[in-house]
Amino acid sequence: MSAPNRARDEVAIVGYAQSPVVRHADRSLGALTLDTARAAIADAGLTPDQVDGFVTASLFPTSGEHAVVDGVSVVSADWLAARLNPNPRYAANFSGLGQIPGSMAMAVNAVASGAAEHVLVHRALHNPAGSYHGTRAAEFRGGLQWTAPQGFFGPLAMIGLTYNEYVQRYGASREALAEVVVEARKNGARLPWSHWSGRPLTAEQYLAEPMLADPIGRFDCDIPVDGAAAFVLTTAERARDLPHRPVHVSGYASGAPPRRRLPAHWPLDDIMAAGTEMADRLWAAAGMGLDEIDLLQVYDGFSPLVFLWLEALGRCPVGEGHHYVRDGGIDSDRPGADPVLLSGGSLGNGRMHGVPQLLECYLQVSGRAGERQRDGVTTALSCHSSPHLGGALVYSAHPQPATHHDPRT
Amino acid sequence: MTSSPPPSSGRPLPVPDALSAPYWAAAARHVLTLSRCSDCGTLTHPPDVVCDACGSTDPRFTAVPVDGRGVVRSWTVVRQSFLPGFADLLPFVLVDVELTEQPDVRLVGRLLDGPDAPLKTGSPVRVAFEDLAEGVAVPAFVLAESA
Ligand SMILES: [Zn+2]
Repeated sequence: MSAPNRARDEVAIVGYAQSPVVRHADRSLGALTLDTARAAIADAGLTPDQVDGFVTASLFPTSGEHAVVDGVSVVSADWLAARLNPNPRYAANFSGLGQIPGSMAMAVNAVASGAAEHVLVHRALHNPAGSYHGTRAAEFRGGLQWTAPQGFFGPLAMIGLTYNEYVQRYGASREALAEVVVEARKNGARLPWSHWSGRPLTAEQYLAEPMLADPIGRFDCDIPVDGAAAFVLTTAERARDLPHRPVHVSGYASGAPPRRRLPAHWPLDDIMAAGTEMADRLWAAAGMGLDEIDLLQVYDGFSPLVFLWLEALGRCPVGEGHHYVRDGGIDSDRPGADPVLLSGGSLGNGRMHGVPQLLECYLQVSGRAGERQRDGVTTALSCHSSPHLGGALVYSAHPQPATHHDPRT
Repeated sequence: MTSSPPPSSGRPLPVPDALSAPYWAAAARHVLTLSRCSDCGTLTHPPDVVCDACGSTDPRFTAVPVDGRGVVRSWTVVRQSFLPGFADLLPFVLVDVELTEQPDVRLVGRLLDGPDAPLKTGSPVRVAFEDLAEGVAVPAFVLAESA
């Protein structure tokens, strides 16, 4: 048994801002992000000169030929710091998958260690003109030489192979996936900032959609967007003097380094093996288990990931995620159900990666969710990416007493 | 003597590097190889700078021929391609194949039997090759008789 993470509950989220999520913003991603960051800092009751730490993950998740230009297609921590506080004590970019848990972990560690007092975590995502993933490349070097010339390229084929393995093994139906997508779009339709605001989807519409990479259709994939979100973190002690109820970060965990596979090859067993180990690390880090989590927000950039996250976290047995969601199992409007897509997710917001899940946990635990506010949410968990390569975070309204023990010991 | 340009599929080509050159040279002869670590004998794909099985930092991988038989672990029907040269092939099937030679090695390639081929988990397949250009072939699969 390793010693508990000394950052547990020592760092809190104290403010946020979320930009409109649109297909193509009418101005640059940098401008959108800078305004969003300023709004988050003001929301936290701070001024930019007090923000001395900047963290992001600036991955631009395209397979296409788009240039990566800071301030245009990505916004790095340095780019934002230069415009808010050009002499920061800490500025860093997380480079792996699971960009939200990864970057949040770096921010938590920076605050807990004293490397910075107030850290801004942002995520900015861009939808370039033209095909998001299409390429005219005539040759491939490096990892893609092993897959692209054979026709295995891009995330649709990736998740198509993974999910068909699941379908064949466990007998998941199209209707089960429809339940996921309809729930995400229902909740997303209620969000004023969402690309899908006011536009829910019916199961009939979902089922009528043709396949892109069987058994994956268009509505199983989040839509590329321009959007930015920002969160301000500081110590639990400083947070007590700021305007909003602090939301403490109790723990985080990220996926294991992947085993050797072809690029974008996600065998189902790889996901579940590393994902369940990740969940064990998460419970140990947070000092609590799943039964102590009031609100679970799973990641849904591809709809089947909802099943895989429910299973990896132990919400239901492996292979039964598709049963768990049926008949209103995750319906946020049904009393007693498990509203794991209350955030709208990426399917109901647009391709904001793990931002919606983080945002919903923050809003619910801080009591700032407005009409969506649920009673009694004092702990929450948000996920991002896949269980094997991504990660998750646990949040608490109240810091745990220092004597609280790891539930597994 | 004049030579006509090499036949080309219009599909993207692999660019061999120091580690992959033996694999692509064998593929051009329609031979599937995997990389064998000279220290522990474990097969891997694709080759890399260290051996993940034994930890060797000097694995001296050699490209050893394998018979290219395996079973289907999953498949997808690709109906929209993001690459040049595939439009006329749509829809096509990609299969995720566990190789008999060493089941933890998985390859992904096109199934050349067409989009309506009867497939199930465990269907036996064997490697086949598609010639993309002069001296360039890539592995694919075809359904095989049950062993
Ligand atoms: Zn070895």
